[in-house]
Amino acid sequence: MRNEIELEAIIEDYLNGKLTPAEMQAFEALRIKDPSIDHRVVAHKVFLESLKDYGQTVALKHRMDQAHASIDVEALSKALRPHPSFIVNMWRKNKATIGIAASFILLSFAMLYSINQNTQQIGNVELMRSELGKIKNSQSSLIRKINSSAAVATEPRNERPANYGGTGFALTSNGYLLTNLHVIEGAESITVVDNSGTPYKVRVIRTDSQYDLAILKITDDKFKGLSSLPYRLKSNTIGMGEEVYTLGFPKDDAVYGRGYVSSRTGYNGDTTQYQVSIPVNPGNSGGPLLDQRGNIIGVISAKQNQVDGATFAVKSKYIQEALNSIPNDSLNTKVAFSKRNNLQGLSKTKQIEKIKDYVFMIKVYK
Amino acid sequence: MNNKLSSSVPTDREVVLGILNGSEEVLNRLYAGYFPMVLQFILNNNGDDDDAKDVYQEGIIVVYNKVKSGNFELSSKLKTYLYSVCRRIWLKKLAQQSKKTSNIADFEDVVIAVDEDIEHHEEKDRQFEQMQAALLHLGEPCKTIIQDFYIHNLSMQDICEKFGYTNTDNAKTQKYKCLQRLKKLFFQT
Repeated sequence: MRNEIELEAIIEDYLNGKLTPAEMQAFEALRIKDPSIDHRVVAHKVFLESLKDYGQTVALKHRMDQAHASIDVEALSKALRPHPSFIVNMWRKNKATIGIAASFILLSFAMLYSINQNTQQIGNVELMRSELGKIKNSQSSLIRKINSSAAVATEPRNERPANYGGTGFALTSNGYLLTNLHVIEGAESITVVDNSGTPYKVRVIRTDSQYDLAILKITDDKFKGLSSLPYRLKSNTIGMGEEVYTLGFPKDDAVYGRGYVSSRTGYNGDTTQYQVSIPVNPGNSGGPLLDQRGNIIGVISAKQNQVDGATFAVKSKYIQEALNSIPNDSLNTKVAFSKRNNLQGLSKTKQIEKIKDYVFMIKVYK
Repeated sequence: MNNKLSSSVPTDREVVLGILNGSEEVLNRLYAGYFPMVLQFILNNNGDDDDAKDVYQEGIIVVYNKVKSGNFELSSKLKTYLYSVCRRIWLKKLAQQSKKTSNIADFEDVVIAVDEDIEHHEEKDRQFEQMQAALLHLGEPCKTIIQDFYIHNLSMQDICEKFGYTNTDNAKTQKYKCLQRLKKLFFQT
């Protein structure tokens, strides 16, 4: 018994490193010699460590309990507890989600706002429309307006001061020409120039303010008449997407322009016009609009400001109507359109080659 | 809802040094500093204040043991580490109570993997409970003698006087007997 106690004390001292070096050596020799003692040492070591850990943990817990006691847990939990209200809870738990949702809502508001802005732009277009209406209804005032500020290029027109230009094309071989009313309205003197540069005097035969059309007649003695017209007037309307082209005089020489019918109605749903996506410039007004087979499908009349590729052309049907409304007795000869179309099947270059003799530059002096 | 931690929260360095030095002041500041964080987490995930206290104290013990074992590298913020540990402990407790552990509301952005440390801690916790049970079974006065000698580091002389033994040899014999019983109890379980 006493030996056991002694042995235990020695083991403890050994583990705590309290043995002298000599004792230590002796004990280690004993450990190696006697496995049962070695086992007791190991077991005692594990046990002591557990006991020490236990002690430390107990002490730590005790100190933490003290620290815990100094915290006002009640108040804290009140502040941190999930709120009884479902909504507040939702907010706390889904802050991120709600944030994202809110930013989406903001974004859509911003988009709506910008769409609104666009709508306002459409409103501007409406305003312009009324202005265009004025252009149609009272061309003279518009001309004066353009006169005062040459920069307003709503209407195709040459910008030379007091000297306007447009385009016209032959309706018959004996010298009847068609152009836009706004090209020649208010003119003191009108001259047309053919492809070879020869000027001819013309007289206004008929104006039609409803469709913005005017019929001129070459009265010059130099005029020897044209050979039979290569194109014909297309009586039915054509569909969207139809490829079309025009020849006009935005400068002193003929300019070819190519595009397609983008809408079967004109400005603000005007059924008398097509909307054509085609590059035109001041001076193109009154120019013929032809389809791929060389049929005249309309007359270029206006272009919308601020909108790309929105040119308007009076439909050929209304050209015919305008022609028909002219009383026969006001004309020496009936204005009759060619029934034949010599252009069908020809290449574009060939078509233009043939047409260019029938398209005139119109010069207006005021 | 991030409650501002009071300015007295010790820095991570202070905590590590404080733990190694056994500083009570650092423990108090550490304890008070991060408790709200864990309390909020537990309260919002099917727990009450008592659960929060238990989990938090376990978490602190894990931190202490880790620092003391010298394995604590400041690769993450102490706050993140503590949060992750407490979170893991609480999720395990929830799973044991077969409460739902899905849809956990988190209040910290970063949660780091602490499974290894938790396992280590559970092993230690088992030992702790074994020792606790063994001491409980040991009964008085053995329990106190053992605690006084091995935990409170009282000398045999002090124990002799405290328990009224006639001489230290008697006290030593008594302590030896107690220790043998305790060992038996401890290794039995």
